[in-house]
Amino acid sequence: MKRLLLAFFLLFGTLQASSEPAHDEVVTAGKEYVSKDMGTMVVDFLKSTGLYAFMTAEDTTKMDHGHEIEVSEFSQGWGRVIMILIAFLLFYLAIVKNFEPLLLLPIGFGGLLANIPIADISGPNGFLGILFEAGVANGLFPILIFMGVGAMTDFGPLLSNPKVALLGGAAQFGIFGTLVGAVALTQYTDMFSFSLQQASAIGIIGGADGPTSIFVATNLAPELLGAIAVASYSYMALVPIIQPPIMKGLTTEEERKIQMKSLRAVSKLEKIVFPLTVITLTLLVLPDATPLVGALMFGNFLKESGVVARLSDTLQNALINIITIFLGLSVGSKLAAEKFLVAETLGILVLGLIAFSIGTASGVIMAKIMNKFSKDKVNPLIGSAGVSAVPMAARVSNKVGMEAKPGNMLLMHAMGPNVAGVIGSAVAAGVLLSIFK
Amino acid sequence: MEEINLVSEGFKFMILGMGTVFLFLILMIFVLNLQAKIIQKFFPQTNIPHKKDDSSSKKDLDEEKRVVAAITGAIMAVKKG
Repeated sequence: MKRLLLAFFLLFGTLQASSEPAHDEVVTAGKEYVSKDMGTMVVDFLKSTGLYAFMTAEDTTKMDHGHEIEVSEFSQGWGRVIMILIAFLLFYLAIVKNFEPLLLLPIGFGGLLANIPIADISGPNGFLGILFEAGVANGLFPILIFMGVGAMTDFGPLLSNPKVALLGGAAQFGIFGTLVGAVALTQYTDMFSFSLQQASAIGIIGGADGPTSIFVATNLAPELLGAIAVASYSYMALVPIIQPPIMKGLTTEEERKIQMKSLRAVSKLEKIVFPLTVITLTLLVLPDATPLVGALMFGNFLKESGVVARLSDTLQNALINIITIFLGLSVGSKLAAEKFLVAETLGILVLGLIAFSIGTASGVIMAKIMNKFSKDKVNPLIGSAGVSAVPMAARVSNKVGMEAKPGNMLLMHAMGPNVAGVIGSAVAAGVLLSIFK
Repeated sequence: MEEINLVSEGFKFMILGMGTVFLFLILMIFVLNLQAKIIQKFFPQTNIPHKKDDSSSKKDLDEEKRVVAAITGAIMAVKKG
């Protein structure tokens, strides 16, 4: 009994000893509460409101990816207000004009949250900052999106008429044309100064492929990510407005009426082998493109194999939806005033539009060149679908074709260059990434 | 370090990039055509006979329907008479 009691005391003693320093730490870690009178309390609280923060903005520095950057008074105060209004504009475009609402809503809301003063939601400890570090800074989310895109894409139209892949290749001229344009602006004018990396990231907008743009931008020019992502998705949404005038301007009435041979049926085996063929080619020619192409083909392989309907279903719906939310919000978190309200953003928006137009035009021109050499005529309208905005660009080809000749269904024909465009822009991205390694 | 002419660098990127894109896609077109030929030759679509079955059974069904219609017609005619 005595021994037991002794043991008990000993135990208690050690416990108390070990708990004492811990207790001390708690006190020093949290701020000591000091009693204040009601007046000071109210004043202190008012100082922590957003309104006060907007009005008393001053120059500060903040940590950004490990190094300090200067943040001006403007971007702390009025800049934030303007950015919040831009977020509202994105909501308007998404809800009323129906421009890519799936992405513009999360991006816009991310931008709204990121510009709230004091809360620092997009900082390293805010949830947007954490999401960004988890999936965008390391390029993970775009890759996951690509899996879903692969699982949703039917490569059948490309398999039944492979030569239309050339149209998807030609449309990538938009990427490189814009790259040259961006460096030319730097070289010959004083308006902008884009490095080659930044110019490459801007050019990728011409590929009309949101995830690819984000993937390249995070690798080559993370500081421009917000503007590039917004430009990229806005122009994808504007496909039905940007493309038709270019398509009509470059083709004659007769060309638009060309009726294409109906597509042959593609066997199931061909569809199953296709992803494996493409991934083999990619690993032989350009391993740098394999993250994007590999994810795309993985998704497609699950779909076409026909034995993992559950996984394919998850990729097409649940996973891509979750990642779209995360990606949109974290890209939106880069819409901070000090990064977005700069002259470069305007340059990026203009260059992106040029990139898109060049891509559209070169697809159409390539189709006309192909018609010179081949007896199976291609309707040049499907050339514009070589920019990879799937399936919007193909739908536009179909619509313009129907206007010229009612009943001339081009949709399935246009899907060929459309999906080839996805592969083409992934290859172009791989080339750019390999150059800067 | 000597000044780099950015524009000429840009054009180099363009030639390399477009060259690779086209090389890749032309190679892909070639391989896909080859693959289609091989698959059509050695693994002809297995669901073709299946389809034939379908269509023949459909024909049978149509035939049956016609027979039934004829019989009903005959019965009606007899009853009226």
